[in-house]
Amino acid sequence: MERSWQRWLIRFGIFIVMAIICIPGLWIVMTAFRDNVEVMARPPVWIPERWTLDNFRAILGLSETQQGIPVIRYFLNSLVISVTSTVLAVLIGMMGGYAFARYRFKGKNVAFLWLMLSRTVPGISLSLPVFIIWSRLGLIDTSIGVILVYLALNIPFTIWLIDGFFRQIPLSLSEAAQVDGCTRWQAFWKIEFPLAKSGIASAGIFAFLTSWNEFALASQLTRTTASKTLPVGLMDFTAQFTVDWTGMCAMAVIIIVPALILTFIVQKHLIAGLTFGGVKG
Amino acid sequence: MRFFRSRLSPPILLLMPAFVIITLVVAVPLLFSLYTSFTGYRLVQPASLWQWVGLRNYQRLLTDVDFWWAFGRTLVFLTVALNLELVLGLGIALLIDKLTAGQRIIRTIMMFPMMFSPILVGFQFKYIFNDNVGLVNNAIQSLGWENVTIPWLVNPVTANLAILMAEVWMSTPIFAILLLAGLMAMPRDPVEAAKVDGCNPWQVFRHITLPYLMPFVYIAMAIRSLDVARAYDTVKIMTNGGPAGRTELLWTLIARTGYQDARMGMANAMSYASILLSVYFTVYFFRKLAAARRTMGGVE
Amino acid sequence: MAEVRLEKLVKSYGKIGVVHGIDLTIAHNEFVVLVGPSGCGKSTTLRMIAGLEDITGGTISIGDRVVNDLPPRARNISMVFQNYALYPHMTVKENLGFSLKIAKQDAATIEARVAEAAEILGLTPLLERTPGELSGGQRQRVAMGRSIVRHPDVFLFDEPLSNLDAKLRGQMRVEIKKLHQKVKTTIVYVTHDQVEAMTLADRIVIMKDGHIEQVGTPAEVFEKPKNTFVASFIGSPPMNLLDATVADEAGRKVAKLADGVTLALPAAAAEKVRDGQAITVGFRAEAFSPVGYGLFGDSEVATIERTIILPEPLGTETLLYTELGGKEVQGKMLNPRVVKPGEQLSFNLDLSRLHVFDKASGMSVLV
Repeated sequence: MERSWQRWLIRFGIFIVMAIICIPGLWIVMTAFRDNVEVMARPPVWIPERWTLDNFRAILGLSETQQGIPVIRYFLNSLVISVTSTVLAVLIGMMGGYAFARYRFKGKNVAFLWLMLSRTVPGISLSLPVFIIWSRLGLIDTSIGVILVYLALNIPFTIWLIDGFFRQIPLSLSEAAQVDGCTRWQAFWKIEFPLAKSGIASAGIFAFLTSWNEFALASQLTRTTASKTLPVGLMDFTAQFTVDWTGMCAMAVIIIVPALILTFIVQKHLIAGLTFGGVKG
Repeated sequence: MRFFRSRLSPPILLLMPAFVIITLVVAVPLLFSLYTSFTGYRLVQPASLWQWVGLRNYQRLLTDVDFWWAFGRTLVFLTVALNLELVLGLGIALLIDKLTAGQRIIRTIMMFPMMFSPILVGFQFKYIFNDNVGLVNNAIQSLGWENVTIPWLVNPVTANLAILMAEVWMSTPIFAILLLAGLMAMPRDPVEAAKVDGCNPWQVFRHITLPYLMPFVYIAMAIRSLDVARAYDTVKIMTNGGPAGRTELLWTLIARTGYQDARMGMANAMSYASILLSVYFTVYFFRKLAAARRTMGGVE
Repeated sequence: MAEVRLEKLVKSYGKIGVVHGIDLTIAHNEFVVLVGPSGCGKSTTLRMIAGLEDITGGTISIGDRVVNDLPPRARNISMVFQNYALYPHMTVKENLGFSLKIAKQDAATIEARVAEAAEILGLTPLLERTPGELSGGQRQRVAMGRSIVRHPDVFLFDEPLSNLDAKLRGQMRVEIKKLHQKVKTTIVYVTHDQVEAMTLADRIVIMKDGHIEQVGTPAEVFEKPKNTFVASFIGSPPMNLLDATVADEAGRKVAKLADGVTLALPAAAAEKVRDGQAITVGFRAEAFSPVGYGLFGDSEVATIERTIILPEPLGTETLLYTELGGKEVQGKMLNPRVVKPGEQLSFNLDLSRLHVFDKASGMSVLV
């Protein structure tokens, strides 16, 4: 049926799409390993003549020539904040997701809608009152302040995803376990949890990435190395008069790499979760 | 069945932590910001928090040209971006669906832009469109126009286009991926029945495939609408609203008014406009999703 | 001893009633089938016995314990679910042994009991597989095996065969019957398929709209249906039911059909009706055969000339569709010859096998 020129056309189209998706990222990665001189060169140099780790050394403060930006500090802040808010969001999300998947109760749809609406509040709009309140409470520029906000940010979507994964498990499995002698609690841990495990993990990774990538709130709630995260740290570079392109690219790579690895791990479950949770309602 | 010997029912107990956190971190601050939007609160003058001005902030907003420009620009920006993402996403999904091999790896690659930090996407495009070292200008120069240097992010028109492009780059994949999932889950029988009934490929697409995909379109829209405000990050790093406010979106305007000008009361009044906008988008698409789900009678 | 007693059992969701106060006693080791159309409350009743649904009113006792407030695990029951509900992340062996493991039995006991159950159901070669690798019939057997390892007081089956194809369903029906003979236990079995109910049950409970319509042995409900619902629900093809009026003809009570045909009523029924009463008469296809092609013994018959609308040959017999009393009725031709649509045939209707129901109440006049 399908002619070969059509097949080639499809392949060509996909090639173009993939190129558009990949080239910006690859360009950044390439720049991160290049010499600043080469980047600025006129006419442009396309194929790097020399690969270098200098940019990384510079931003990590390992070279003498340049004032380092405390990237390691930012990285640790990001890690602590993202991991803590993720673990808590997954726990709370599991409880909420289970409630939505397994119980009928009054106001269920309304509750769900409010949860989702809380997520739609633009970060910058939320940051204004939170900033004022947090500064009264002394939570500005602390990890706890940011963790709390990210927790609220992650809970709705985590509940949505986990709800979907629980609903994929037939209710009769839990019932069978209860007939077989389990309490509902045992039935959950022995049957439902193991089956939803991979889905829950991917919901967790999604929450982690949301925290890892967030900027609008963090940029207002953090001030110093005590709590600044990587995305906020990226702006350090533009504060200077000239933009340090290679340094920024190196930092970008540091932000991207964990995200890429995690995305690669979860991609399959995530799609399933999103479509299932949505369509089956 | 009563495994929690408590007066509260299990679902209420299970949802309690979620609602406590959301109340403390979202609901209470929003109520507070609603209050401040009726005051002349300035960050630098703590006492002004108690200075009740009634609807003055809102009245000023109504006549504030900058605000209306930003509001209108945001609306246009969202409409154009969402539609463009939908059409491109659908096209990409259809292309990939036709592909016989390598679907998985391509799907994985498509996930990456979704996982990029919006601030990184902004930086990425700022770099690409930079007039001195950017990929685009480099390419133009290498193609022979050696003295051409287009200041993409300085010209208001191209700056807006660049921002739009960043947004579309970041969000098209989610449409493509969800629609592809829809296409792959689609039963073959109706398509075959339509072919037997004499439909040409376009008619099959128009009358069978597209209606089937609608719930997936709305899921994508609903997910996307939860997060429209992340364009703030992109704009913030790319142009910060410049040149001369020509790329100012509602969100950047709020940040400028609240933090730079320290007019918190006013900024909170603006935030309410932005919150209502987001809520409108979300409710609209969740409604559509629910309706589509009913007409499809529960898509398998 | 595990007798199951339901007393005035009620279930409602908010204002919507599902089960309206049913009474039923299931004897020790009895095989009882709850049957009825979907939405009749049979599954809800079963799930209340299992403890998976709260009881709105009335009591359920198993043995001499009232179990209303006991969770499923404390009722010493086991259940086979419609979709089998096998734990997908466990092997067959782990599935079978799960309940014993939860009950903290020692490994040797578990091993022995699992082996015993596997032996009974022929699952021994499949023990290391996971449910995903099994066929429908094998899954069904694992589900039953999981029930029997526990030596429960009561077995509950919730439409266990409805996901199988027709042939396999027949085989599994036999296996369930054999199983009941091997492991004597009380069984409560829910199905919407009256053939399953007839073949498996010691006693059948026919339900409709949350009420019990009739309880009886398969022979009883088949031969003496209490009302038109049971009459039309049990038996295949369903009983022919025709509206009629009671009239007097030469001193005998007869049913006068809409088209003027009169049928003499059997003596027992005749005593219970009065002239002019609106009734429904019913007869099964077996009682309505062409002359020379049926089994009538020496019972009194009415001979009626009919035109065949459609013959449906089934091999050893042919179903004949014709018309009587203004309605389409089915007769049965044993030892059949080829019949063509439009052919005229003389039918014998066995009057002793005529069922008479009051039209207004739908109840048999003999009740």
